[in-house]
Amino acid sequence: MGKQSRARTQTRAARLAEVRAAQAHEERRRRLVIAIGAICAVLVIAGGLVALKAAGVGDKSSTGSAATAASPQVVSAVSNVPASVLDSIGVGDATTFPKFIQAPALTANGKPRVLYVGAEYCPYCAAQRWAVAVALSRFGSWSGLGQTHSSSRDVFPNTPTLSFHGARYTSPYLSFTGYETTTNKAQGNSYQPLDTVSPADQAIFDKYNRAPYTEGSGGIPFLNIGGSYVLSGASFSPQILAGMTQEQVAAALSDPTSPVAKAVNGTANAFTAAICNVTKGSPAGVCNAAGVRAAAQRLTGG
Amino acid sequence: MASKTAVAPATTVQTVPRWLPATSLILSVLGLAVSAYLSYEHHTAATTLSCPNTGAINCLKVTTSSYSSFLGIPVSDLGLAFFVVMTVLCLPALWRSPAKSVRAVRLATAGTGVVFVFYLAWAELYKINAICLWCTAVHVITAALFGVLAIGSALLPAPLASSPRA
Repeated sequence: MGKQSRARTQTRAARLAEVRAAQAHEERRRRLVIAIGAICAVLVIAGGLVALKAAGVGDKSSTGSAATAASPQVVSAVSNVPASVLDSIGVGDATTFPKFIQAPALTANGKPRVLYVGAEYCPYCAAQRWAVAVALSRFGSWSGLGQTHSSSRDVFPNTPTLSFHGARYTSPYLSFTGYETTTNKAQGNSYQPLDTVSPADQAIFDKYNRAPYTEGSGGIPFLNIGGSYVLSGASFSPQILAGMTQEQVAAALSDPTSPVAKAVNGTANAFTAAICNVTKGSPAGVCNAAGVRAAAQRLTGG
Repeated sequence: MASKTAVAPATTVQTVPRWLPATSLILSVLGLAVSAYLSYEHHTAATTLSCPNTGAINCLKVTTSSYSSFLGIPVSDLGLAFFVVMTVLCLPALWRSPAKSVRAVRLATAGTGVVFVFYLAWAELYKINAICLWCTAVHVITAALFGVLAIGSALLPAPLASSPRA
């Protein structure tokens, strides 16, 4: 009787253990199914986001407009910033300056050449173009300048600006080559291509738009002044131009108290000082101006 | 009584798959390294006022966009904090803990990370229109970590199943 009772107890314990093992197995299987379900949900959502994007959902075919000819008052204001305003500002609110480099001279037609590479979509190019245009106006004259704005879907959207696409620059002191590699009109995940950089200028861009010459690596806007000075990026924040029209920016250039004038004209004075170094001080009236001499002290080397 | 309290954690340790603590810790440390780099970039390179001369692969555009902050906190810092927490939660000492709360917090934190990754991926693809490969690396690591923890947690015994009462 005692043996039978012990055997029954053992059998009951064994069955209980089996039931518990089965329950544990079932519980683990249930949790595994939930875990795999959660992982599948993650993969499906991630795949869905990518697939919808690839299918073009959410893409806007165009968010910008092509550049138009700059209005006469814009061209006039950019080309005729009063010398007194430029002198009173000095370097103004410019935060970065062209850097002197040891490199072969960049020339064209026997004159130092200024090379600019940017794109119409780029908000930092939008800011920097104003200063380039003002600085070069002191050595020559523009025709065919465009006016546009940066991309509406990038940072600092719709920053008002000029465009060097199709612009012509004439000067007895220097020559200018400007590239706008894309428009501000969206095309897929990028922008519609515009100017093609020549192989020679692309080689200059690739070689000198990186450390140790510049802080960035291939960023735009890129500026090379006569092979002696380079600068990558804007010298002030495009935020300064936010919400303005091209006409308002152009008009503000002559007001020495405006943030626009302090940023744009300060940067223009720095560019002018660098250009004066490659033109060997010509023309003297520009290169000896107080604002230019003040800016020259902020240039490194040269 | 003493023997019961000594047996409980030992039983739990034996049933944690060996690969689980190691894999989760490696993924957490990898995520920590990449998010630390992104955080460094956010606080230093953002002052470079330039546009990358490229198309959809555009880290600067992503890390300087309005989506690079969440409730005023840089997203890169949030990612760094996330991986600091996950690294601590995935330390072998905490894997040895039989406490239900540790497992729950570990899995919930990883799940929260995945939800945030969805938000960031949506922002990159549909709002910023650019992809940052470093950010994508963090996203993949976060998703992989969640997957590892989800599977690993399912394979673990029920929390405190081998408690002193067992």
